Amino acid sequence: MKVSKKILMILKKNGVNFFLSVPCKLLSNMISILEKDKEIIYSAVPREEEGIGICAGAHLGNKFPCLLLQNTGIGNSVNAIVSLLKYYKIPTILLISYRGTPGETVKAQYQMGSITKNLLKTMNVPTLHCNKFSDLDKISKYVVKSKKIGTPVAILCDFNLMKADQ
Amino acid sequence: MNRFNLLKLIQKQIRDYHVICNIGYPSQELFKLDDRSNYFYMLGTMGLCSSIGLGLSLSIDEPVISIDGDGSILMNMNTLATIGNRSPNNFTLLIIDNGSYGSTGDQKTFTNEKTSLKKVAMGAGCKNVIECDGIETPQVLSEAIKCTNKSYVIISKVKPGNIKVKSIPLNPIKIKERFKKNIIKS
Repeated sequence: MKVSKKILMILKKNGVNFFLSVPCKLLSNMISILEKDKEIIYSAVPREEEGIGICAGAHLGNKFPCLLLQNTGIGNSVNAIVSLLKYYKIPTILLISYRGTPGETVKAQYQMGSITKNLLKTMNVPTLHCNKFSDLDKISKYVVKSKKIGTPVAILCDFNLMKADQ
Repeated sequence: MNRFNLLKLIQKQIRDYHVICNIGYPSQELFKLDDRSNYFYMLGTMGLCSSIGLGLSLSIDEPVISIDGDGSILMNMNTLATIGNRSPNNFTLLIIDNGSYGSTGDQKTFTNEKTSLKKVAMGAGCKNVIECDGIETPQVLSEAIKCTNKSYVIISKVKPGNIKVKSIPLNPIKIKERFKKNIIKS
């Protein structure tokens, strides 16, 4: 729970107050915490692209949104990230369980795992890769950047980092 | 009655509210009728109009109207489940169902065949789902907006067809920023 708690603490401290999630086993602790948190708005969403749309609406309503998703979901949301979040300059935190990284048990996950960083780079989404606990301290900087320049930012959380937290 | 006639007919009902409008002809026709800063025009991402409206209505207390279409709802049907389960009281989703992908060359949609968006919305968990024709829509919409303890899905059945309109000459940042000023004020 240490990793999940720390990530959420950093996000909330920096003003993130609207959370959505598409489930991943590695995010389940974080989702449980969010479900009980009365200080923020939280909902599950069935698909990532839809979540991007809801995040955009939340921003119009002066909230600071975060979507929890697996990196596979980035593949489902490319157009929404580029033509909605980037085009309208909408600050959004994409908090991503990075499947297909060392420790991964499902072979199919390596397919998206191997292209995730390049995909984010192609979309010009500032990306932080966290593979150890101390990396989490860098999240603040990315959240501030998201708000300051109006862009989605991606926080990639490695398989082993999240697995150890379960 | 086609979409443009309907948009003309509901101007009085929507003009003072936060409106999220679907991409392509719907936004362009609305812009031509009456460009207002409380109208958010979508310039990309077909399918997400109702999701954007949902996100906004979860974030503020004032009424929010999404003007969506049958084609884009079919592209993002799961959002009806999210709307049905969250059902914010201040949200009205108006689906202009003309059975046509108007902005991409007027190909027919499945609502021309076997798909009923009323049944889909109800099955997805939306409680107050009303299907009506264009003439009835202003009255139905007006009551839905004024009802502050229920969310509504209205499916307005109209004929296909678009009018000749130009692209919206506003950049996305301008659309967003002037829209947000209304939110801050209210």
